[in-house]
Amino acid sequence: MNRLHRILTSSLLGAAVFAFWMWLFPQDLSYQEQNQLFLFTWDYLGQRLALPGGPADWLSEFLVQFFYYRAAGALILALLAVLLQRLVWRAARPSHKADKPSFYVLSCIPSLLMLVYQGDVEVLVSYPVALILSVALCPAMTRARWHRLWLIPLGWWLAGPVILVPVLLSCIRGRSWQDLLMLGYTALVFFAGYRLLAAQYPARDAFFGLNYYRLVESLPVLQIVIPAVTLLTILLCGLGIRLRNPLVPGIVTFLLLILGTGFGVRMTFDKDVHETLAYDWLIRHERYADVIARAEKYQPHNPVSACSVNFCLFMNGQLEQRLTQFYQCGTEGLVLPSIRDNLSDITSAEILWMMGMPNITLQYIFDVQESIQNGRKSGRFMSRIAECNIVNGWYDRAERYLDILSHSLFYRKWALGRKAMIQDESLVAADPVYSYIRSVRFQDDFVTFYDGLDLMMAILYNQNKNNFMAAQYYTVWQRLKQTEAGQ
Amino acid sequence: MKRWLPLLAAVLLAACTGKTTMVEELPDIYPDYIGVTIPAGIAPLNFNLPEGYDRVFVRVTGSNGGEIKTRGRLAAFPIRKWHRLTRQNAGGTLHFTVLGRKDGEWTQWRDFILYVSDLPLDDYGVTYRKIAPGYTTYSTIGIYQRDIHTFKEEPIIESTLTPGQCMNCHTANATDPAQFLFHLRGGHGATLIQQDSRREWVTTKTDSTLGNVAYCYWHPGGRWFAGSINPVRQCFWTGDQRTIEVFDLASDLVIVDMQDHSLIVDPRLTREDYLESSPAFTPDGKTLYFCQAKAYEVPRHVDSVRYDLMRVPFDPETGALGEIETVIPASSDSLSVSFPRPSYDGRWLMYNQADFGVFPISHKEADLWLMDLSTGEKRPIDEVNSPFSESFHNWSSSSRWFLFSSRREDGLYVQIYIASIDEDGHCTKPFVLPQKNPRKLYHGTLYSYNAPDFTKSRVDFDTRGVYREVFSDERVQATVKP
Repeated sequence: MNRLHRILTSSLLGAAVFAFWMWLFPQDLSYQEQNQLFLFTWDYLGQRLALPGGPADWLSEFLVQFFYYRAAGALILALLAVLLQRLVWRAARPSHKADKPSFYVLSCIPSLLMLVYQGDVEVLVSYPVALILSVALCPAMTRARWHRLWLIPLGWWLAGPVILVPVLLSCIRGRSWQDLLMLGYTALVFFAGYRLLAAQYPARDAFFGLNYYRLVESLPVLQIVIPAVTLLTILLCGLGIRLRNPLVPGIVTFLLLILGTGFGVRMTFDKDVHETLAYDWLIRHERYADVIARAEKYQPHNPVSACSVNFCLFMNGQLEQRLTQFYQCGTEGLVLPSIRDNLSDITSAEILWMMGMPNITLQYIFDVQESIQNGRKSGRFMSRIAECNIVNGWYDRAERYLDILSHSLFYRKWALGRKAMIQDESLVAADPVYSYIRSVRFQDDFVTFYDGLDLMMAILYNQNKNNFMAAQYYTVWQRLKQTEAGQ
Repeated sequence: MKRWLPLLAAVLLAACTGKTTMVEELPDIYPDYIGVTIPAGIAPLNFNLPEGYDRVFVRVTGSNGGEIKTRGRLAAFPIRKWHRLTRQNAGGTLHFTVLGRKDGEWTQWRDFILYVSDLPLDDYGVTYRKIAPGYTTYSTIGIYQRDIHTFKEEPIIESTLTPGQCMNCHTANATDPAQFLFHLRGGHGATLIQQDSRREWVTTKTDSTLGNVAYCYWHPGGRWFAGSINPVRQCFWTGDQRTIEVFDLASDLVIVDMQDHSLIVDPRLTREDYLESSPAFTPDGKTLYFCQAKAYEVPRHVDSVRYDLMRVPFDPETGALGEIETVIPASSDSLSVSFPRPSYDGRWLMYNQADFGVFPISHKEADLWLMDLSTGEKRPIDEVNSPFSESFHNWSSSSRWFLFSSRREDGLYVQIYIASIDEDGHCTKPFVLPQKNPRKLYHGTLYSYNAPDFTKSRVDFDTRGVYREVFSDERVQATVKP
């Protein structure tokens, strides 16, 4: 396969991955971005570097902050896919000459498999980044011989357990007693490194990767399969199979890979999850009509989706008229109770905020942030936490969050603006959003609980007749309650 | 290098004095260490100037001699020199001269002093839980220990090791980490008890009790510990003065015998119409203090729940409890008492007082109070109280120092303060636990320093096997004493 074919194949891969994220699943990019907060501070860097695989994690979080813009996110994931494919090909090269015919297209397998795996929204970008770092170390590891004594611990610290890919490759290619010794040495490095750097983690997590997957106590099969397939792909590409006419088998393989990827994507991408994420992404960008349009075609039957669609109906002035045209699940579909995950309550928090309940918003959004299972914070959620504190006049607390956000890239400007604002009470009072929330919020201090939420809406409306949202939500709440009672 | 130091100092002073403006005010240092009393050998009291000051120069001189100079972005003192200076000046004062540079202009404020107590604080350090000061969910929690003579902090156990399980307070026996316990809440919850490096996981929930013990206190003899069993819930306020209210749905008190893992369930301490909490034994082991309140429907009447301070004689040989006596009938004054902590020398009893409830940490008005156990006199400790919540206090092993947590920083994030107490019960202005870069750490953290206690020596806890032990659910089942 000549140079042109290779460029074409890689470009096609990059373009396909870009289109996939840009137009098919942009909501996933937003989800990744809102579940981390990259800070340009030495402390933040130090925290990441303190763990095995930390450098890959830090690098990936640096990249994921750009997912704030979906085009940048799609481009970054496309470039990572092409980089992985090119590095797999490069790692395969030592055993044959570059220009000899071979299945270049096979080197796309790990990138495509990664795409399939990323259908699980909890897969962190640090996993492909770590794999890329590992595959990049393959040529050096193969040549290193005894230098592997320092390369292996370094690689383990850089990328985590996927460093086994270059280690195993070098051993398979070396096939000597030193290589067997090296495998034992690798096990020793893993164990010593675990005790040294990751003693506060379960051994299983440390040995299978601390920062590859967001959910704790989970180990997806593909997390183990992908490095194995990557190793096999490198070996397969490295065989240098010579074909008289590589075009036909190349095209056939290419088509098979596309079909396989499509099938894999269908299998791993949970439609309801991605649709719910899409609602959240669109609401974040105030594209309420787009949510309704999507729901008209397909709406997941879960309370989060009902809550999101109802909210968008309200924002478009259609809540009462079109309520019955969409999936409903009782009053929970208006405002959800407090749920301990990092997604469900986001829209409910938005509703409570707009209605004039900053304290319950604070509770919801704080819990949403704390529910990010790998302990990361969120620029989006922290901004709202700061705003709730501003509305309450708790400027010292707000300043803490604003100072943290000012170390980020995309929340910095906003945070500095708000920090300047809270130095002058008249500026806060003049802000249209904050002054509105202050005008519609509860005038009395009393204990709240979810079962009494409709009464609280009524209190809000009676306090301030301009609180149209409280009135309408109260009315619809009663309607849904009657429907529930009638069932 | 040493011969160049005087020259460097001269250049530096010349640079400082060249454009220095003298002002009469005291410097606005962070944390506020002006006039505090510290023990000799404590970690250096590094401090920051307000934002905008890019350089600081500090000279510290001791009343009994000695001097340290430092300069940089913050006032950071070398540990060894600081220890030497504070030990040399135990019982005396340290005199601080502070200069700060802002926009190229130097300012020198009025000098201030700091007192070095002649009362030693020889304990190794403090233990605490770091937790987001929030609502119902916590992503990461950990129990840590900190050497108070340096800045070294290390985890005892972090929630990353036991995912999904919430950790309660670390409770040592009178600051001695040879015997400690803490409770894990969650699907695999249990009480971890470590005695002389041997640990066991105990389920204290029985058919006759509400659940596992949560807030515990060791009997000084080490055979017993008292624990409250409280299903904790939260509710939320609508106003702009407070956000969260923590309360117990129900609450009972039991005493655990570690000899046979049996519980003393006294019907007087497990009544349905009353809530019992915050147990604490006196150092002679013959009295058990606790708090008791009439139960109300919660959360609707959460602000009606008010605890009195009670005590009951305890026989360490048999575990028998005597007649219950009310010590402070706080509820009759529409107040609520919590967390009684007798000093280890038996002289004082420190406790919290708030308007209602048993979780003073969420009560702005909560203050520390001191009772003289020899006379029964009590008073608020105005020397250490602030307009914000003070709570979770504990004594040093010598009982001449105490620590507590306070929300005075911003009304939400909790920090640890330390103060001393003399023979007459006079307390000194407290100082916040020193940090290498206080503003960066305290202002930049998203964690509260919760449930602090002194630890006489370093806590030895090996995390190997903990994950397996927690998730294996192999437990020592406590039984109820007949």
